[in-house]
Amino acid sequence: MPIEDNRPVKVEVKNLTKRFGDLLVLDNMSFNIRKGEFVCVVGPTGCGKSTFLNCLTRIHMPSEGDLYIDGVPADPKKHNISFVFQEPSALPWQTVAENIAYGLKIKRLPKEEIDQRVNQILDLMGLQEFRNSYPGELSVSAEQRIIIGRSFAMKPDLLLMDEPYGQMDVKMRFYLEDEVIRLWKELGSTVIFITHNIEEAVYLAEKVLILTNKPAKIKEEIVIDLPRPRDITDPRFIEYRNDITDKIKWW
Amino acid sequence: MEQVNGKQKTIRNVLYWGLPVLAIALIVAGWIAFSGAHPDLMPSPATVWSRFIKTFTKPIAKTTLLGHAWASLKRVLLALLVAWAFGISFGILIGWNRKARAFFGSIFEVIRPIPPIAWIPIIIMWFGIGEFPKILLVFIGTFVPLVINTSTGIELVDRINIQVGQIFGGNNGQILKDIVIPTALPSIFAGIRTSVSSGWTTVLAAEMLGANAGLGSLVTRGWQGSDLSLVMVAVITIAIIGALLSVILQKLEKVVCPWNN
Ligand SMILES: Nc1ncnc2c1ncn2[C@@H]1O[C@H](COP(=O)(O)OP(=O)(O)OP(=O)(O)O)[C@@H](O)[C@H]1O
Ligand SMILES: [Mg+2]
Repeated sequence: MPIEDNRPVKVEVKNLTKRFGDLLVLDNMSFNIRKGEFVCVVGPTGCGKSTFLNCLTRIHMPSEGDLYIDGVPADPKKHNISFVFQEPSALPWQTVAENIAYGLKIKRLPKEEIDQRVNQILDLMGLQEFRNSYPGELSVSAEQRIIIGRSFAMKPDLLLMDEPYGQMDVKMRFYLEDEVIRLWKELGSTVIFITHNIEEAVYLAEKVLILTNKPAKIKEEIVIDLPRPRDITDPRFIEYRNDITDKIKWW
Repeated sequence: MEQVNGKQKTIRNVLYWGLPVLAIALIVAGWIAFSGAHPDLMPSPATVWSRFIKTFTKPIAKTTLLGHAWASLKRVLLALLVAWAFGISFGILIGWNRKARAFFGSIFEVIRPIPPIAWIPIIIMWFGIGEFPKILLVFIGTFVPLVINTSTGIELVDRINIQVGQIFGGNNGQILKDIVIPTALPSIFAGIRTSVSSGWTTVLAAEMLGANAGLGSLVTRGWQGSDLSLVMVAVITIAIIGALLSVILQKLEKVVCPWNN
């Protein structure tokens, strides 16, 4: 049995329903995510995972119900949120370094602070040698690292990632999985991480939310009670992985 | 292997440098042959050259060739500056604001197909043949492509890029400045390129219908005085300036939109 969690609520999802015309995508979802929690969301393709995040960032407005961050209705202007989109979303007219600085400039941080963070992120993401290149000149995986770096640079309270590592090779994925954990621990951020990869979910999450097929509801919340760093060959790890895989397959 | 590649490369370079030179040489050769056969229809290159020299020693309407070129250029540049300022702002407005687009869009659809020179009679009737009507004509001819290119570029903005701006907390002004306008820059630049070439042709047409100075007036003067060499001098000058303008714009585009190759 998981230990009781006393952390305050960061994100409250209350009777969230989303329709696109007649298409019901999210069906009356309610759940809480606690401050500092690392949550992975898994579910069948097209079930509404991105739609959920898009409601949280107000790219879409909920049809019914609402989402609250720190007790107030979600609003990206009010909270320190950063978001890694599922699709490539680097700004093509900015260099790699400018892209990483983008959110920091909007927040009007002092120039030295911006320079220092950008440099640190360029190193972290292995993009230092491309700092003056444009995204269109780089590979898909490098472009994805730009937007991951752009969101890490914000030192966000709430980090939202929509299948961020889908385009990466295994080595880069393992490296970036450890980096997101490090950032999470260092900043105490709350992380919501959508993935198709169940091994990745079990490796990262404190809690995995399994969604049903569309219209999406929470099928089950699974607390991953494994010590870190986690070992993907550990029998208990494999047990979690198989358990979640079965639950996605059979509904 | 290396050597073969190197050789192929030089052959290709020679080809790409050589072909344009060859094309020009063919034109000149054709010109010489034609003017030799029909001296009454076409002056020879040598005649045109000496006529060219004469435009400096014996100015036409108290103005050398350079003065005429500058008169035309001045009109175009003045009109272009005004057209760029208004056309681009207006294009941004109707690209970004739906209500403005609904209102002005249809007007532009109607005006768009009218060639600038079709305005000449109306403008001359209203404003005579002074400096202002010429500049106004060029303005009309360049304003429309600028508005259309700018607004189309703005409408092309990727939804996801605007969302990036919103999620990182940008307000509407920041999103317009950081996201929307940069997206539209390549097509704004296409509009600028069109405006320059269409402005250049419009000013010459306007000058041909009545002006004391300008390359267009030289064409008319040569034509009416049966001075075909002068017509050729003016036409070649027009072509060279047009080509120079387009080269300058190409270089400028690389500076303004470096991500766009
Ligand atoms: N803007 C929209 N308009 C209409 N329908 C939409 C829109 N966005 C998403 N949908 C539909 O909502 C459903 C859920 O889409 P969503 O992108 O949230 O799924 P997902 O779980 O993120 O899928 P994937 O695993 O492929 O990323 C899909 O059927 C999709 O076609
Ligand atoms: Mg998705």
